[in-house]
Parts: sequence; structure tokens; C-alpha cells
Amino acid sequence: MSTLIVCRCEEVSLETLQKTAYQYHCSSRELKLRTRAGMGVCGGRSCRMMIEQIATAGDNEKNYETETIPLKYQPPIRPVPFGVWGGLSDE
Amino acid sequence: MLDAMIIGAGPAGLSAAISAAQHGLHVEIVDEYYQPGGRLLGQLHQEPDGEWWNGIEETEKLLEQIESLHITIHCSTSVYDLQKVNKKWVTYTDQGNWESQAVLIATGATESPTPIPGWTLPGVMSIGAAQVLTNVQRIQPGERGVVIGVNVLSFAIARELQLAGVDVAGMLLPPPHLLSKSEGVPQEVLSSLLRFSHLAPSVLMHRGAPFVKGRLAKNLVTAFYPEKGMGVWGIPLQLRRTALEIKGKNQVEGIRVAKVNRKGELRNAITHDIDVDFVCIAGGLSPLAELAAIAGCKFIHEDALGGYVPVHNEKMETAVSGLYVAGNITGIESAKVAISQGTIAGLVIAKSLGARMINGKINEALQEVESRRAAATIQFHPHVISSRESLYKTKKTQ
Amino acid sequence: MNKRIYTHPILENLSTNEEISFSFNSETLSAYKGDTIATALLANQIRTLRYHEESGSPRGIYCNIGHCFECRVTVNDYPGIRACLTLVEEDMVITSGKKLPQPLKHGGEENA
Repeated sequence: MSTLIVCRCEEVSLETLQKTAYQYHCSSRELKLRTRAGMGVCGGRSCRMMIEQIATAGDNEKNYETETIPLKYQPPIRPVPFGVWGGLSDE
Repeated sequence: MLDAMIIGAGPAGLSAAISAAQHGLHVEIVDEYYQPGGRLLGQLHQEPDGEWWNGIEETEKLLEQIESLHITIHCSTSVYDLQKVNKKWVTYTDQGNWESQAVLIATGATESPTPIPGWTLPGVMSIGAAQVLTNVQRIQPGERGVVIGVNVLSFAIARELQLAGVDVAGMLLPPPHLLSKSEGVPQEVLSSLLRFSHLAPSVLMHRGAPFVKGRLAKNLVTAFYPEKGMGVWGIPLQLRRTALEIKGKNQVEGIRVAKVNRKGELRNAITHDIDVDFVCIAGGLSPLAELAAIAGCKFIHEDALGGYVPVHNEKMETAVSGLYVAGNITGIESAKVAISQGTIAGLVIAKSLGARMINGKINEALQEVESRRAAATIQFHPHVISSRESLYKTKKTQ
Repeated sequence: MNKRIYTHPILENLSTNEEISFSFNSETLSAYKGDTIATALLANQIRTLRYHEESGSPRGIYCNIGHCFECRVTVNDYPGIRACLTLVEEDMVITSGKKLPQPLKHGGEENA
């Protein structure tokens, strides 16, 4: 059977993510940084919930009390061409 | 400077712009899509009274009002940042930046996929993608396909595909793995299906519904669920079959299917392949909250609302001054609820910027949300109402 | 096959606009004005919009509403354009992304 890809942008598999989560017992953020899952061009829009699910799968208690989304969002939330930063779009 | 910038030209954003402009506010709307309407555009289902809910017509009704109020909609405009700078909101987009006193985030939802081996092949798409193709862009996603994931959304869209002449060869469960959770368990899927049995012309579902309250009864119904599935509008609904793998070299060529037991476990290794040229994955919806997050909102996780939602009250105010939310970003519900929420948001923003004699209208709109929520044909989650109540209680005590 | 849906039992019949021509990977194709790049290509039975930069696996539209970025193509030399959000225009030159060389992967040993 072909591998089960979780992060389509970076082609990170469920197996890689689960092994990494098990080996390092890591948070969703660390899991992301170690595997690059969720760091592709879509900004993790498609797979962030799955990464979080994999990272918390080993924990018995899910901690939803933090008031923040576990994988932080940072601007820009869309890829921005250099022209926009340089003001070319105002031309 | 604008009075309010509205991000998202879906049902919530459009109705908010209308109610705000009716009270004298200068508002503009930005949307990433090339035409306004958001995901309302693709909606097409039959209400229990037999009337069709046609998203394109509903969008046109809203756009007529937008036009008569001379509200500008900037389509094909992607917002990449949202910040408060010197007490003004700045919406940063790839088409320039806008300053405003208030901002409404009405970005709707995103689909949460259930991954399946082979799902990166061309021809595999989200169920929402197939809906837009079929009902808005009027091109078939393929000739013959399957829908993986059985839920209220996929149920409705499978029917829409069929109306458009597409052969839906079956609705299957996703493969049992960590990420498919209860969506791969026949018992769980069946009990969630029975919540919208009123939409299905099926005897078993109508008769089954009253009996599924208890765990034992649920076991019985799943035990008697026909091995080969049953036809709903002629589409085989196969709760005891799981999609193991999508096959194909350069694009979708088929799907490998296996039997599962009531708990969704693979019963044996016997599999068979079905020839299809497209596959839709239906994993459900969750609020698209990225802009609310970078703008500083706090979040709360509510399963009944689809995941993390920005903390807000029933007046659509967030805890961040001048920042409002409406529509599916506040929780997954119907477009009718989103339209009413948008009306509230527009009125509340108008009030905050000085519009007078508006409290009566706000109260009316609040009541409209409640009655629409209670009467919703498609209730995405059975605990939406109680979940909302507890969320709004939390917000009040802050 | 991805056929256009000209008639529909509930919705109005498809009203097609003027025909326009564009090119995809040097092939000249035609579509209707109002098509997105993605639907224009689907109507020409083209589903593969790009190949993954590293693995070379073929990709087409996935979400069709701009969220997943799987459908990005190069349009008139501008890379990273989402085919599902962009309307096709007369004489547009569209090319798909291809597998890129990976000289630094595994410390460059593959290319040593």
C-alpha cells in the first residue's frame, strides 16, 4: 500500500509523524519543526489539525484550556510576492 | 478611512455589510474568491417542505441589496495580515491596505481532510471542491466516483452530484487510522446520520431514528445494517465498507475497498477494487480562524462548533476592541444562521460607531438567529445550541 | 472525463460566454470566458496542474477555493498563481511546476 501522506505540501507521512511524536514525545510545534509538516506553502491550513491530533494522541488528557490555538498563526497568512512588499502593487 | 472593513463576501459578510450600510456606515468588503457569495453559492438542497434552497439565488438576493447600497466588494483580494496600528485597524492585502475603525472577520470555514493513501493523485478532491465545480462552475468532477466520509455535508453534496448527472458509485467510510477517528466507525456514523434522517427518503433511516437513543439499540441497528449497504436516492450508502487506498498512476483510476465490522475494524484481508475516475473526501468543516488569531483573539475549543472558535458573544463582538466575527468562523452552522449573524454584526458595529435608535433591531436580529438555529434543516452538530449557550456565558463573565 | 453541465434539473441552464484561447505547457487550448484556469483545463481533460517539487508526484485541484495551494501554476511568468481562484484570459501563458533538482538533499550525496 502506498504511504499515507498527511502534509501534502511537504509530503510528510503519518508514519514519520507518529514515529517522531513517539520518539521525542513532542508538542505539535516541535513535531512541525522536526518534520516540516505544516510548513509548506499552504501555511498548514490543510494539515494543522491532524498534526495537533498526532502530537496529542499519546496524552490521556487533551488540554483545550490554553485560550490559544496550539500551532501559532503568524502573518503573512498567505504567500506574498516580493512586489507587494516593495509597493509594486500600488503602481 | 472606512468605518468598517468586512473580510469575506459570503452570507455573513454580505448581510453584515448591508445592515451596517443601512445605518450610514461606509463599509467595503474584501474576498479572496473571484466572485462574491462564498460557499453559499454552491448550496443546493431540498428543504423538508419540498422547496429547494438555491445558493446562487440566495446570493443574488443579497447582492441586489449590496448594489443598491453602493457597497464595494473587492474580489480576488487576499488578506495576509490584520493589525491595529495607532487605534486604527489595517487590513493588509495583495491589492493594497485599508484602514478602518472596525473589522468584521467573516472568513467561514475550511474543510478538515481525512487523509487516505493515494489522496494526492489528481482526481481526488475535497467534497466542497466537487460542490463548487458542479453547482457553480458547472463542470463534472469526473464520470464516476465515490464519496469517502459519511456526514451531513457529504450526504447533501452526493445528492447534488447525482442531480448533475454524475455517477456516484458509493459512499464509504474512511480507512480506520488515528486521523479518521469516529468517522471510520459504522456505529458512530450511523447515529450521526440518523440526526438528519428527515432529509433522506429512506424507510430504514426514518424508522431507525427513534430507536437509536441507547447504545444497545445502536448496536442492533448497525448489526442489521445491510452488508452491501442501502440505496439512498440510488446511491449505495456503505457503512460497512472502508476505502483502503486510492489507486492510480497519473490520476485516479480506482479505489480499493475492504469490509469492516461494526466498530470499524478491518474484518479480514478480503478487498476488492472499484473503477472510478474521481474521489471526494469529506472530513467535515472547521472555522477558518487564522486572521482572528493574528489579530489577537482568544480561542476556545468546542467540538460542537467544529473546533477552535474565537471567543465572542452573541452580539458577535470578540474580546478585542473593534473586532467582530460572524458566520462559520464562530462555529459550523447553516448559511441562514450566518446571514442573521451578519445582520447582528453590522448593526452592532453601527451602534458602536454612533448609530442611534438601533437596539430594537439588534434584539430582533438576535431572536432571528435563535429561531433559525432551532429550525435548522441541517444541524451540523447535535449540541450546537447548548455549546453556544455555554460559550456566551463564558464571555459574559469576563 | 470532466464534462460541462449544460442542463440541470434545478439550476438554470449553463450560459456560456465567448470562447477564448490560452496555452498550457505550450499547447494551445480553448475555454469560455468566466472559466477559472482550473476549470478551463478540466474542460480540456487536463487534471494535472503541477508536479511536486521534490518527489515529482502529480497534483491537481484539491480544495478548489484557494486554501490548499495544490493548484498553483505559473501564469505569464508569475509563479505561485492558484488556478482555482484565477480566471483564464485570452492569450494567457500557463505552465505547470516540475520536479526540481535536489543538489543538497542528503548532503548532496545523490549528486556527488
